[in-house]
Amino acid sequence: MYIVKRVGQALLTFVAVVSVTFALVRAMPGGPADFIRAKVMRSGGSDEISMSEINSLTETYTNIDPSTPMHVQYFNYVSSVLQGDLGESIWYNKPVAEILIDAAPWTIFLLSVSILLTFGIGIVLGAVMAYLEGTKFDGASTIGSMFLNSVPYYVAAIFMVYIVSIQLGFLPQSGRFDAALQPALTVEFVSSMLRHAVLPIVSLVITGFGGVAITMRGNAIQEIGEDYIRVAHLRGVPGRRIATRYVGRNAILPMYTNFMISIGFMFGGSVILEQIFAYEGLGYYLLDAINSKDYPLMMGGFLLISFAVLVCILVADLTYSKIDPRISDTGSREAY
Amino acid sequence: MTMQQTHTAAVEDPIFEVRDISVSFDMDRGESRVLDRVDMDIQRGEILGVVGESGSGKSMFASALLDAVVDPGVLTGDIRFNPEDGRSVDLLDRSDDEDIKDIRWRQIAMVFQGAMSSFNPTMTIEEHFRETLSIHGYDVDEGMERARDLLSDLYLEADQVLGSHPHELSGGMSQRALIALALVLEPEVLVMDEPTAALDLLMQRSIIELIKEIATERDLTIVFITHDLPLVANLADRLAVLYAFEFVEVGPSDDVLTGAKHPYTRALLNATPNLDTPREEMRPIEGSAPDPVNVPDGCSYHPRCPLADDLCVREDPPLDSSDPTDGHAAACHHVERVPDEVPLTLQEVTVDE
Amino acid sequence: MAEKNSSFSQSDDYASGAGKAASKEEIYREWVDMALLAPLRVAWNDWRTQVGSLIILFYVLMGTVGVALVDPPTEGQGPRLTTAFQDWSVPLGTNNLGESILSATVHATPPMLQMIAAGAVFSTAVATVIGTVSGYKGGAVDRVLTTLTDIAMTIPGLPLIILLAAMFNPTNPAVIGILLTINAWAGLARSIRSQVLSLRDHSYVEASRIMGAPTRRILKDDILPNIMPYVLINFVNSARGVIFGSVGLYYLGLLGGVHENWGIMLDGAYSNGAIYSLKGLHWLTVPMIAIVGISFGLVLFAQGTEKLFNPRIRARHAETVEDTAPYQE
Repeated sequence: MYIVKRVGQALLTFVAVVSVTFALVRAMPGGPADFIRAKVMRSGGSDEISMSEINSLTETYTNIDPSTPMHVQYFNYVSSVLQGDLGESIWYNKPVAEILIDAAPWTIFLLSVSILLTFGIGIVLGAVMAYLEGTKFDGASTIGSMFLNSVPYYVAAIFMVYIVSIQLGFLPQSGRFDAALQPALTVEFVSSMLRHAVLPIVSLVITGFGGVAITMRGNAIQEIGEDYIRVAHLRGVPGRRIATRYVGRNAILPMYTNFMISIGFMFGGSVILEQIFAYEGLGYYLLDAINSKDYPLMMGGFLLISFAVLVCILVADLTYSKIDPRISDTGSREAY
Repeated sequence: MTMQQTHTAAVEDPIFEVRDISVSFDMDRGESRVLDRVDMDIQRGEILGVVGESGSGKSMFASALLDAVVDPGVLTGDIRFNPEDGRSVDLLDRSDDEDIKDIRWRQIAMVFQGAMSSFNPTMTIEEHFRETLSIHGYDVDEGMERARDLLSDLYLEADQVLGSHPHELSGGMSQRALIALALVLEPEVLVMDEPTAALDLLMQRSIIELIKEIATERDLTIVFITHDLPLVANLADRLAVLYAFEFVEVGPSDDVLTGAKHPYTRALLNATPNLDTPREEMRPIEGSAPDPVNVPDGCSYHPRCPLADDLCVREDPPLDSSDPTDGHAAACHHVERVPDEVPLTLQEVTVDE
Repeated sequence: MAEKNSSFSQSDDYASGAGKAASKEEIYREWVDMALLAPLRVAWNDWRTQVGSLIILFYVLMGTVGVALVDPPTEGQGPRLTTAFQDWSVPLGTNNLGESILSATVHATPPMLQMIAAGAVFSTAVATVIGTVSGYKGGAVDRVLTTLTDIAMTIPGLPLIILLAAMFNPTNPAVIGILLTINAWAGLARSIRSQVLSLRDHSYVEASRIMGAPTRRILKDDILPNIMPYVLINFVNSARGVIFGSVGLYYLGLLGGVHENWGIMLDGAYSNGAIYSLKGLHWLTVPMIAIVGISFGLVLFAQGTEKLFNPRIRARHAETVEDTAPYQE
């Protein structure tokens, strides 16, 4: 039953996002219609172009016909979105969906690897720090983690482009893969893909793992002080197992929310990151669209990113109860 | 000390011989001694009730019996453990780590207050049992059979309890499950540190009854730590009273309850609330227990004792100062005057059988 | 758990015969002491808070006093692209227009501080109110607010902010600050809500309710002091978020309204080819150091407040409350 409720909630959220997007499109100063008209006129079309033609053009591109009443517009827009029709990009003259579907896997690739590495390294480091609490290693790691966490990922990215790409020439500066190659499952292509992904991923991971480590350290230290650890020790449970099955397992649980929040953050961060690396993923196109006032693409990108984040968070929420036996569906308690 | 009997000599077949143990902590404000050169023998098969206020050192005593004093506390002294079937062991000989690991839980087990927090929240009760059995090299299936028996002896639904996670059990259930877990390796000694403190009165009573049953059934030696004197009154064979990190009185329960020799014990008995006692007659003990960093010189009870005099301020009376030929010892310089000067207000102290 | 509760001590309503009731002023002072001063005292004890505060103070000074001492950046303050430490009239070097990097850095600080302050205050206040009310009230109110929070949390922040910035072109630093935290409050609201949920079942809260204390007072006396540590830490995190967000957006050229910003400097350095040679290194690194510096200061400060999460230590540092905890085994 919880699943039903949760999915329902997610749907509600998604509808809200679509509505917000719709509202933004309508609220845009100088909205798509004007822009389209300006563009048509600039590209050497006839001096006068009828309102109805503009409207239909607008509709082709954005799925919104400005001549119809607001609620009809809304309905049409929402139903198009649900059918997967995100309109047509003004700039590229291709369906938005097509552009985004091509870009999406790259962003997802980048972000999943980054998140997994960030949390993987952070959790292990945090656990080690907790066990070695008070030692020089702990002290140094804490400061190091804090420092790295204070660097914005894009600063790290710029810095690394500067050092690694330009000065040292080790790794490529931009792009998803070597432009000369064709996408294929060849070793050459895959390695090019990986080489291009290293710097963006490293920027995200290096600036992210510190925060995770510090949180994990706090959690683990708290678990270590708990009664059941003492009892386990008395029962003869070997230290190794205590560290993993007792302390580790229990300390990770609260990290789950951090994980969820990180997902959202990273999707947002991809915008700047992909710009720096000219990496044609979702974020790249979104920014591109904003700069060129390509409204359909802008909206589509926005929607798609929101959708991806929503799905990730939903999955995380639903699987949480699988890994944490302490949680039962609490919901809201007695109202005061 | 010539031919005077010592309280330890009264114990004929000691399973524990505790000599001169102390537990100290190094704190910023000084050295904190939470157990001060304590001697005690524990009789095989007896139920010893260790009574004291919060902060009197009783939990430290319990931990000491398993050499499990929490870091950074330091345990010094001598504890000799004499198991039924085996050689006598110096518990505090830390040269061989394996020794103590062999003994803990297998021969001496411990049950804490707050049973629910003694389990790993992400493991089922069954997993706890299996883990404990396999760690100590026991046949798991056979052990689980035993576990099921234990659980039903404790009036628990074995299947239901085994399949649950700790937070799914009530206070009483988890406490009993913990007792079962402690007994699954069939130890000789069970140390219980305030096992019933977090439970309601009815549950407390029934657990005490259960403990009595299993003690006789399985021939256990039980050390029961509590602050609640009446609770342990009809359970224990002998009572030992802790004050300010030392034992101030020890003896057979009946003797201690009806004829306590130490002023503190008597005051404690007087302070025990009774439904029939009118409010005006309730007598709490004036003053408060000493800070472990700052224990008074001489007898540690003298600031609160109506009999205190110069001798008491100067000299700390040993536990045997009362000539304990009957196995009933008290640490007081003026044992003879105590019955008159600290009368027991209870009309009669009934000891249930 | 030795958490602080002073609803009970607020006996200004009944003038009982036994002992004098505490005066309003004393009660107020005790509240301030327990909720604000004691936490600050505990936090101050830690070297990390001290160093962190010093760093933050440095930036505040830079943004106030410094601005008066250092000239605003103008073209031709020094020869173009002088590197750092060469010419003492432009100690940190100049950019490709001859503007002093030091001037640019210093003068970027005041609007940045404004943004940080506005954003952090806004998001923390909103999150605290929503989280507390949602957690405490429960029921329908909770469901609505939680859904709202979830929506805010799901809509990816940065893209939304970029969109809004592109649309509305805010110029006032305070407005920018608030814009940047438009969905940052959601995370904090969620964690405050769960903290409040666990607090509200404590017996002293129930006691206050039974005594008929109005909701507002329960929130103020029983709940608020105990969530202060979370609020503090999240205030600092929001600040960091504002810094990262604003610099990022200025770097991308998506925000306007201020003349100087470390992000603008970064953008200038990057796009004017500073990265292709070592000559422009100072142009790139000085703003980087400025950014990392204040973030690090904030992180240190937040880390130093770690002890606050242990209420027992806090009680021992309060001066008006008796040290009641005897040695416990």
